Amino acid sequence: MYRSDTCAVPSRSKNTGLSLRGVHKTFHIKGKEVKAVDGIDLDVANGEFIALIGPSGCGKSTLLRMLAALENPTSGTVEIDGRPSAELAKAHRLGVAFQDHALLPWLSIFDNVALPFRIAGRPVDRDRINELLALVGLSEFERARPKQLSGGMRQRTSIARALALQPGVLLLDEPFGALDAVTRRHLNGELQRIWLKDSITTVLVTHSVDEALYLADRIVVMSSRPGRILQVVDVPFGRPRTREMTRSKTFHDICDELTDALRGLDQDTGNTS
Amino acid sequence: MYVSQRTRAILHGTLGLALMLICWEIIGTYKLAGYTWPSLTDVVTFATEPTRLGLFSRAISATIQAVVLGYVIGAAVGFISGAIITLVPAVKTSTDSTAAVINAIPPIALGPLLIVLLGYSAAPVALAALHVFFIIYVATVAGFQSATQTHRDVFQALGASKGTVFYRLFVPAAVPNITTGLRMAAPSAMIGAILGEWFGAPRGLGVLIVSAMQNFQIQLLWSAVLFASILSLSLFAFFGLVERLATEKFKD
Repeated sequence: MYRSDTCAVPSRSKNTGLSLRGVHKTFHIKGKEVKAVDGIDLDVANGEFIALIGPSGCGKSTLLRMLAALENPTSGTVEIDGRPSAELAKAHRLGVAFQDHALLPWLSIFDNVALPFRIAGRPVDRDRINELLALVGLSEFERARPKQLSGGMRQRTSIARALALQPGVLLLDEPFGALDAVTRRHLNGELQRIWLKDSITTVLVTHSVDEALYLADRIVVMSSRPGRILQVVDVPFGRPRTREMTRSKTFHDICDELTDALRGLDQDTGNTS
Repeated sequence: MYVSQRTRAILHGTLGLALMLICWEIIGTYKLAGYTWPSLTDVVTFATEPTRLGLFSRAISATIQAVVLGYVIGAAVGFISGAIITLVPAVKTSTDSTAAVINAIPPIALGPLLIVLLGYSAAPVALAALHVFFIIYVATVAGFQSATQTHRDVFQALGASKGTVFYRLFVPAAVPNITTGLRMAAPSAMIGAILGEWFGAPRGLGVLIVSAMQNFQIQLLWSAVLFASILSLSLFAFFGLVERLATEKFKD
């Protein structure tokens, strides 16, 4: 029934980029225990692009927050290159971008992208910042304030900031979730172009099956609460991905299947709640 | 749209002020409120009389000194207390309740206490500082909390130390709130200083107000009140401008 049950996909590289082992996360909300994530095992190879999809409240954001060392797992281990993710954060080796761009309104676009250097206490590498601004097409706006830019430009700035220190891992939580469909599609293309430059190990949380299929090497489908991995889908397209690929039959077939799977999950939640 | 709204606000403000001054003049001229309400022109003529220049300038400069000193001390202590409870949340409850207790004591009751403790000349400064302290403390604490959760998450994921989060995120994020506090605190510092002077400071507008009242020098009394209001309004307007500039730069 499911198109591919290839949970144990051989890694592209022998180095394990990310490794999640028996990860559980339980929240205590008003005295009630809520299981957000229940027994996740997942390996992500170095340089691999993973997309996490699933219905709302399936714990995919919680999983990403654990990778970003913003939450601790209740049990299990979250490791990046064999070390706890908190260590990587402390070493300024993580890049993050969220749905809320979280740019600092009092800094210019240049200074926002330079923020990771200042946080790490390193001299600001102006060439690197200029290169990133050129990469995301914002060279002319380096003196502008975030409030002067459009939503899409702010998200690009936020991604440039995530890349500033050449992180070992890039963690993206619905970075384009608040944008209109046209801008979103455009930025998906941009993100792929940027990503192809260094192929940083990337985890993208998204609601959009399209986006996941266009960007990721593998798609991890999660069930609704408690979050478990239902299925891992290998994306059969080579790189660079083109818009023609998204019009192919294979693309649509996988897209439909994933959408059906997600719709089924949403109905399940509807019935139980 | 923005400009026209601002212009309209200024226009309304000026109109209201003019209306108030006209009422003052009419009530004074026709003695509608009795003989203790002089007309505006009488008060202005009295206040600008060259022979009284020394008297008023001495009083005004004494009050300004007390206000400025009290304002700076109160703002600094308020900011530092707010900063400490942000960095060491464990002390929040005790600091909060201490600040609330200090604020709950009526300044009129605190005045004599401060005079006994600090002497007559320091009481205006101390009362001004106390008023300012509470406002700036509350504004600072609220300001530090105005950094969004996502901002904090980004800093944490980027491996920021506590100190870095504080001065690169919390402090700039608090600027709009703190400048609002500074504006609100300006008239309070005035009230504190004048109240402190009532209890017998060597000089100041508060001293002038009390002695004019006791000696039934109506025009002197009104002049002193007029100067106090002008001073208070100028401070308020100045910090209003600071607030506007800061909000423009530091807010989305």
